[in-house]
Amino acid sequence: MDNVKGRDGGGFRAEAVTKVYANGIRANDGISLHVAPGEVYGLLGPNGAGKTTLVKQVIGLLKPTSGRITLGGHDLIADPAAARQLCSYLPQAQVPIDSFLAREAIVLCGRVRGGARKVVERRADELISALDLGEWRDKRGISLSGGVKRLVGFAMVTVHPGRLVILDEPTNDVDPLRRRMLWQQVRDLGDRGISVLLVTHNVLEAEKAVDRLAVIDDGRLIAEGTPSAMKSADRGHLRLQLMIAPGRDAPGAPPFVRRCTLAGRTLMAVIDEPDAPAGIRWAQQAIGTGVAEEYALSATSLEDAYIELTGHGPGNGETG
Amino acid sequence: MARRWLYGYWRMVAWDLAGLRLNLPVLSCVLILQGAGFVYGIGLLFSHMPQGAAIFVSTGSPVMNLITAGLIFEPQLVADQRLRGGYEFLQSLPAPRSATTLAWYTVTLATALPAVALTLLAGLARYHLHLVLTPMVIPAVLLTCLTGVLMGLAIAHGITAPMAANLLSVTLIFVMTGFSPVAFPASQLPGWLASVNLWLPFGPMATIMRSALVQGFTGGVPRAYAVVAAWAIASALVTAWAQRRRR
Repeated sequence: MDNVKGRDGGGFRAEAVTKVYANGIRANDGISLHVAPGEVYGLLGPNGAGKTTLVKQVIGLLKPTSGRITLGGHDLIADPAAARQLCSYLPQAQVPIDSFLAREAIVLCGRVRGGARKVVERRADELISALDLGEWRDKRGISLSGGVKRLVGFAMVTVHPGRLVILDEPTNDVDPLRRRMLWQQVRDLGDRGISVLLVTHNVLEAEKAVDRLAVIDDGRLIAEGTPSAMKSADRGHLRLQLMIAPGRDAPGAPPFVRRCTLAGRTLMAVIDEPDAPAGIRWAQQAIGTGVAEEYALSATSLEDAYIELTGHGPGNGETG
Repeated sequence: MARRWLYGYWRMVAWDLAGLRLNLPVLSCVLILQGAGFVYGIGLLFSHMPQGAAIFVSTGSPVMNLITAGLIFEPQLVADQRLRGGYEFLQSLPAPRSATTLAWYTVTLATALPAVALTLLAGLARYHLHLVLTPMVIPAVLLTCLTGVLMGLAIAHGITAPMAANLLSVTLIFVMTGFSPVAFPASQLPGWLASVNLWLPFGPMATIMRSALVQGFTGGVPRAYAVVAAWAIASALVTAWAQRRRR
């Protein structure tokens, strides 16, 4: 095994990872990133950007065409058995727990991952409490809702985690209250020195949960940094959101709008701070003519920076 | 290393038993119905079942139980996991692959054994046979079930298209039932098909089982063991390759 511990302090490192499928599709193109121990690192990108392909290579389910993937002193490409031991993986799809009782699934997963019975049972009870799953602890997986099943899956992979926890869209189907609880648990993993690789579409939630993040588009890493650094290019700008009335077309953007994105019925426009009065007048006019129902003016967010980088809205991705 | 392997084995046995507790009793009942139903059903074709035919049917049906358990259950389960997305999660668990395979074999064997015993008893009761249980029944059952399980695993993990994997396993069940000398003598088959069956696993599986249950049955037993073992080894190699394969 190639020892890289001295160079990256035992963290996770991907170096120039490229994945070209047999049909010629280049899913990852020279992706390099580093996640320090205890760091929560977000991978953002539109559908088909190559995020899931990257994490499947980390866990040993896919093999890179070229590049290196290491975790501490371990070459995860050369040793996929070590990858499975060192990394805990929550895939995008639901975990197969139809016949399991919820707590039983969490405990058994921790035991399969090598945890001692008493430690795993205690930690399982802590997670059930922290994620407010007590109501379902002795219910079968087949009777659980999608969101509860998702939370049980999260508890399964974190009850006895490896040194790297990979979470692919962990909050899918989860209600807003328990999402907060889940993000708190993600932060706690970081505080315990465990690296977290978080794959998500949810830019607004990622902004609060991650220490650093990377944006991947068309298989390439196009930006990397802290959420604040990513937003810095948008300083001096404001976001003007218009809720379009049902059955009405979005109004054309006036010249002072820097960029405009339509996500569902929400039109998001980025404007300069001095143009705020003009923006408010435009929004009020749209409401007055029945085109829009309401508007909101706020500071720009990571979501705006993400849209600027990728040219995609986070939801349905229409770009104005 | 050995301790870690054993730990992984027991954890995966516990995982399989818990994960399939809704399915295993049903599968066990289906196998009992398959075996006992076949034993009784064939008898309905005759007003008086010839003794030789009764022996073939009664000793072949438990073999069908063992093959079906291994060959059908895993491909259907993995196909379902692939379609619903749980396959990758299970593949990411850190238990050694060989421990996972042996755990699955243990669970399948435990599921099939009640059916094997009851099918055999059904044959004895229906046709008033006098079979002799020799110690060789143990390796015969263990090897037959192992080979069926490994063939099932090879199909499940080697063929990534769920529908294709299911079709192949069901086709092999048809081959076992209608075109292999499991519940009837090879002499009943056309010469070319009997020759082919010398190299397929199903007929030899029935041979080793029959040799352990019928006194004086000596037809090509060492060769049958060799053929079945060769299929087990080949299937294990395919399974190991398929599980290590990364696209």
